[in-house]
Amino acid sequence: MTTTPAPDAVTPLPGADECAVLAELTEALHSVLPEIGLEDTAVTMDTRFVEDLDLESIDLITLTGELGRRYGDRVDFPAFFASLELAEIIELSVGQLVRYIAGRAG
Amino acid sequence: MTTARRPRLNAVRVGPPGGDTVVLVHGIAMDNLTSYYFTVAAALAAAGHDVVMYDQRGHGRSERPATGYRLEDFTSDLAVLLDDAHTAGPVHLVGNSFGGTVALDYALRHPDRVASLLVVESEPPTAAWAAKMSALLADTAHRLRDERSLPWLEHTYGRHEARHARRARPLLRGTTIAADIAASRIPAEERWRDLDLPVLAVYGSTSDLADMAPWLESLLPNCRTHRVAGHGHSVLVGDPRTVGSLMLDWIGAGHRHQAKAVRV
Repeated sequence: MTTTPAPDAVTPLPGADECAVLAELTEALHSVLPEIGLEDTAVTMDTRFVEDLDLESIDLITLTGELGRRYGDRVDFPAFFASLELAEIIELSVGQLVRYIAGRAG
Repeated sequence: MTTARRPRLNAVRVGPPGGDTVVLVHGIAMDNLTSYYFTVAAALAAAGHDVVMYDQRGHGRSERPATGYRLEDFTSDLAVLLDDAHTAGPVHLVGNSFGGTVALDYALRHPDRVASLLVVESEPPTAAWAAKMSALLADTAHRLRDERSLPWLEHTYGRHEARHARRARPLLRGTTIAADIAASRIPAEERWRDLDLPVLAVYGSTSDLADMAPWLESLLPNCRTHRVAGHGHSVLVGDPRTVGSLMLDWIGAGHRHQAKAVRV
């Protein structure tokens, strides 16, 4: 038996719920925004929607609309965005959105 | 010629059904429904309002036909949207910049379907407005004539505005929007004097448009104006808390104006 810990025991990886949300979010991105061509782009918690994926801010609303259908009333994306300044929305990372959803959906 | 087929419009609705419906109409060219979604929409929904936002034709994720951008095209899009929204009664219309011009034009044509109007940095459609707006659109299209203009835009207005400009390029360069706005159907000025709907016109104190407040108050029979200190034309996104509070107070004041009943 090896005593080497599994990588996720030492690396701050997303929790199980966050992993599931990240997978769901990535799938939703491909589903509702196929034209942005993400096939060859790895979507991680650090990926920024606008700066890295070149999404328009209007695309964020299309994406969160789809996520709202999947997660239901527990998530309130208009309130989430209203809590951010415009500059923060431009810098929004996948991880921020994943953590919000995981926190509300758990 | 205006295309016969109506473009598909992207719309978002938040807030509980059954509340007073508030319809938010955004500005022209470098704008879309995010100006509301990211700013005041959540507060309006939290106050119990049924909030409808949409991307006007050519903007955001709505379709962008090559032609058909006269004011009356935008106004009839709003009419169809409201038909499809199945609202319970007259709606509160909110318009930002050109969106306020569309809202005012709609109210003039369908006063019985409007409870109140709140316009931010807007002017009613006049011949002078159409000429000015058309020239502004044509000038912006010229500035965006090639990719070399984008570094200048970024330097002058910042990265975010440059990004908006790049996104607006297909509308400004690839459609007849500037010429169409100039050819818009302009209501006769006397008609505004009969628009007996409550109107609140909000301006940024440093905006060029703020000077038109006294004229607008004299033109419309039931209009008051408000200036937000320290802001210019972008007051909605520049000071969403102040503008949002004005919206909540205005809509919460309970205007249940029924133009038909008043006019009988």
